[in-house]
Amino acid sequence: MNDLAVEVKGLSVRFGDFYAVNGISFTVRRGETFGFLGANGAGKTTTIRVLCGLLRPSEGLVSVGGISFDHNEQAVKAKVGYMSQKFTLYNDMTVEENLNFTASLRKMEKATYEQRRKELFDFISFDKPLNTLVRDLSGGTKQQVSLAAALLHDPEIIFLDEPTAGVTPASRSRFWQLIRQLAKRNKTVFVTTHYMDEAEQCDRIALMREGRIIALDSPEGLKTAAFSTPMLEFDPRGSLSFAEVSAFARHDVFLFFEPYGLRFHAAIKSEDAWETVRNGFEKNFTIKRIKPSLEDVFIQIVEGKAG
Amino acid sequence: MNGFVWRRAVAVARKEVYHILRDPATLGAALVLPVFMVIMFGVAIEFNVKNVALAVSDSDQSQSSRRLLDTFGSSGYFLIHHVSSPHAGITDVSAERARAALVIPPRFEQDLFAGRGAEAQVLVDGTDNSTVGPVLGYVGSIQNMASQRIGGFDPSPPYEIRTRFLFNPELNSKWFVIPGLTVVVMSILSILLTALTVAREWENGSMELLLSTPVLPLEIIVGKLAPYGILGIIAVVFVYVIARTVFGIPFVGHLWVFGFGCLLFLITYLAQGLLISVATRKQTVAMQLSMMTGYLPSQLLSGFIFPIASMPAFFQYFTMILPARWFMLIARDTFLEGSSVLELAGPFLALALICGLMVFLAARRFKRDLEP
Amino acid sequence: MNKTLIGFIKKELVQTLRDRRMRVLLFVMPVIQLTLFGVALSNEVKNIRLAAVFDSKDTVLRNVYERSIAGKWFIPARSSEQDPFTMIEAGDADAVLVPPPGGFTRALGRGDAKLQLLVNATNVVQAQSIEAYLQNIVQQTVRDDLEYTPLPPPIRISTRVLFNPSLDTSVFMVPGVMCMLMLMSTMVLTNVAIVREKEMGTFEMLISAPVSRSEVIYGKTIPYVILGMSNVPLILGVAVFAFHVPMRGSLIALFIASFAFVCTAVALGTLISTYCKNQQQAALAGFLFNFPMIMFSGMMFPLENMPAVLRWLSFFDPLAHFMGLLRNIMIKGGQAEYVVTHIVYLTIIAVICVVASFRRFHTTLE
Repeated sequence: MNDLAVEVKGLSVRFGDFYAVNGISFTVRRGETFGFLGANGAGKTTTIRVLCGLLRPSEGLVSVGGISFDHNEQAVKAKVGYMSQKFTLYNDMTVEENLNFTASLRKMEKATYEQRRKELFDFISFDKPLNTLVRDLSGGTKQQVSLAAALLHDPEIIFLDEPTAGVTPASRSRFWQLIRQLAKRNKTVFVTTHYMDEAEQCDRIALMREGRIIALDSPEGLKTAAFSTPMLEFDPRGSLSFAEVSAFARHDVFLFFEPYGLRFHAAIKSEDAWETVRNGFEKNFTIKRIKPSLEDVFIQIVEGKAG
Repeated sequence: MNGFVWRRAVAVARKEVYHILRDPATLGAALVLPVFMVIMFGVAIEFNVKNVALAVSDSDQSQSSRRLLDTFGSSGYFLIHHVSSPHAGITDVSAERARAALVIPPRFEQDLFAGRGAEAQVLVDGTDNSTVGPVLGYVGSIQNMASQRIGGFDPSPPYEIRTRFLFNPELNSKWFVIPGLTVVVMSILSILLTALTVAREWENGSMELLLSTPVLPLEIIVGKLAPYGILGIIAVVFVYVIARTVFGIPFVGHLWVFGFGCLLFLITYLAQGLLISVATRKQTVAMQLSMMTGYLPSQLLSGFIFPIASMPAFFQYFTMILPARWFMLIARDTFLEGSSVLELAGPFLALALICGLMVFLAARRFKRDLEP
Repeated sequence: MNKTLIGFIKKELVQTLRDRRMRVLLFVMPVIQLTLFGVALSNEVKNIRLAAVFDSKDTVLRNVYERSIAGKWFIPARSSEQDPFTMIEAGDADAVLVPPPGGFTRALGRGDAKLQLLVNATNVVQAQSIEAYLQNIVQQTVRDDLEYTPLPPPIRISTRVLFNPSLDTSVFMVPGVMCMLMLMSTMVLTNVAIVREKEMGTFEMLISAPVSRSEVIYGKTIPYVILGMSNVPLILGVAVFAFHVPMRGSLIALFIASFAFVCTAVALGTLISTYCKNQQQAALAGFLFNFPMIMFSGMMFPLENMPAVLRWLSFFDPLAHFMGLLRNIMIKGGQAEYVVTHIVYLTIIAVICVVASFRRFHTTLE
């Protein structure tokens, strides 16, 4: 049996003259949690829609769950679960009615469905009455019920398109606990996100920009690849003027020098060069060596490619 | 909170204009709809009954019966086709193939020559009672004409009625319908689009976002409604230009009187649309409601086609609360009669009252729901 | 039956009927509207404000005036004006009778009685009726007053009004309003129901399941056919029991005709929805179709008055067919050939719409 959950070769999606996705290739193993990172309009959602059978690729080969689909979206749709950016539950129906409807879309047997629903409610610890209207649920609960709806038919692969957009941090971390549990059950989870801390929790991350994948590796791998040299954090000792900061930032010892809250993160070109100028900086900053965050990686890679 | 700031209202308006412009289908429909309706109805609508399909069963087949048929045919009102029997004539009426049946009995010519008086019968379909009157009238005058031509009989009465049709001497249906269309067009555009656009902001939750900014509710209202007001005015200008140029409908009144009426009417309906959307906050319901309280009454109860004077007394009073009734009066009057503002004081006063009331209700509801 | 379809039907019905306001709009409003419009609307011209200029010696004209007022069509005009033109211009009177100098009675004696009738012709229909009514009344009055019996004409055409001899207005108007209301509650509702899913993003969730095109289309339309049909007995009841519109034809024929119409309206709504991106567009499109459909249905004015080139337009108007069917079945008892032909026409329009919807409808995103 094939070990790959998703296999994409040279996928392009064109809308008119515009390439939303431009010749990307990657594979996702079974049981992997795969993150898709990128700005809005980078092509994440479009890629996911293709993988769910919602959009037809303009070019390229796509195989999901071992089915390579050439106009056979229905077979793919049966294997995958999809939860889109918006809460795709009907606000004016109850939780039960929503799930009933989802079950009927998937043509599930009544017994299987009820069994499955019970499991999923345990899984997301849903304890409200079934006849609660969806519009009366909190954002976080709504999103968990959405997840339950996407998992109802027990799909092998789950696509989550920005599942945590617009919910509270507490709900976000709760939601990621659920994702990790899914991974433990050997489900393949494919998730797009804006949040770097979420991306850190993925097994591997693909970084998308303007329809192309510009980096693909584990979070650790990405960090090492982007920064062969150490990262420094600068904590200003006093307040600095804009002119001073830009003077520091332009110093050619840095690969980059970017604000990070009230502090600054910078990558240096080489240790030797740094040692020569170090004293000058220590007057103004407390300096500490840090491990780069994914955000730093993101900036480094995107800036690097843009330049 | 401080007072009303025009700049903020303009900002909201600009946002709304972007919405409209980004949605060429809505814009197109809003602008094409009036043109399409006016041209369509200008060409199609005709209240003068003609082309009445007449099934003829001529059992006499004589010269006289044929001359009687000629009289029917040459009147220009009837389209004649022959059927085999009186029964077939009635079947044709039941099957909507004919609106009336003419039955000429076998001894028609014999009776005529014998001086006993010849008799034929016309059976009219009573389903559409509005056509029955005119058809009976035509039959009456054909009876006189036929008696004169075939029987050499001069039935002219000792008097003559000379009717002068004021304001529309040729009884042109277009003159009657098109000025009224301005009312229907505006009622569709203003009330519906407003109700929907505000309800949409509620559904999307973007209304809460707007309200969380220092923008005052009043600024939101003005900003959101102004573009639709302008759209409504553009539509009326279209209708006016087409009415004048394509259909040559006279405009004898003052443009500013008409314009003032338009404005009052527009504001009333915008306010009504707003009231609906604030009260329902859901597009489907808002749409049904604006259809029932705005569009249907202005089409059916405003006097557009069905005269208010013919309604039962209760409805004659009831229609007084409909802005469309008053604007219909003003529109028709300024196009065809050209009365002064003083003579139109009644309709204007009523319209202004309803307008004020509607704006008050909408503003109060909006404030009550939105201001903490 | 297919599980997906049943799920769809349940879901649509729940969504539509959960909202109390929607239930009212769907089931109570049509009844209220039918009653309202049925009572209010009439194409018969009545309550015409009539004035006549006559002095005490002009007995014939006075009799004409009094006879008019005594009838059901005219009411006296009240005006402070004396001049007949001003009376009309000021909007105090709809029609004014003006005798020749010296009065109508004396002019009749002289043999050159020219009676002037001034009519406000802003409303064409009303103007024509006024003239016809008064022609009749003057003729009667002159005959009675002068005791002048015209010679019987050699050719007499007697007239008989079929199906509605008392010329009851509601017999004509009520079926018309019924059709109109049914159109509104089916076509527009279907259209909006589909567009709403697209706008809210739930459509994406829907087609992320392995559902076929026909399951989605039938799933979204069948519930509205059911809702539309559930309206039929309701408004039929009001028409027959409250307005005494006769029900001469077979109920089965009426239901088949209604079913054909509801399917057509729902199919048309589905087709329109494939062109709309948001509910605002859907509503606008609804009106764009609604208004001409009503105008060309024969409810407002008889279709044969239209120029021949435009008459074919009403062939494409499902409302025109249904209005014809409803009137034919209810009032005339349903002439078999007519009923079958027009149900077939409706079916053809429905099939065209369904086929076109299928072509435009995809279970992938564009």
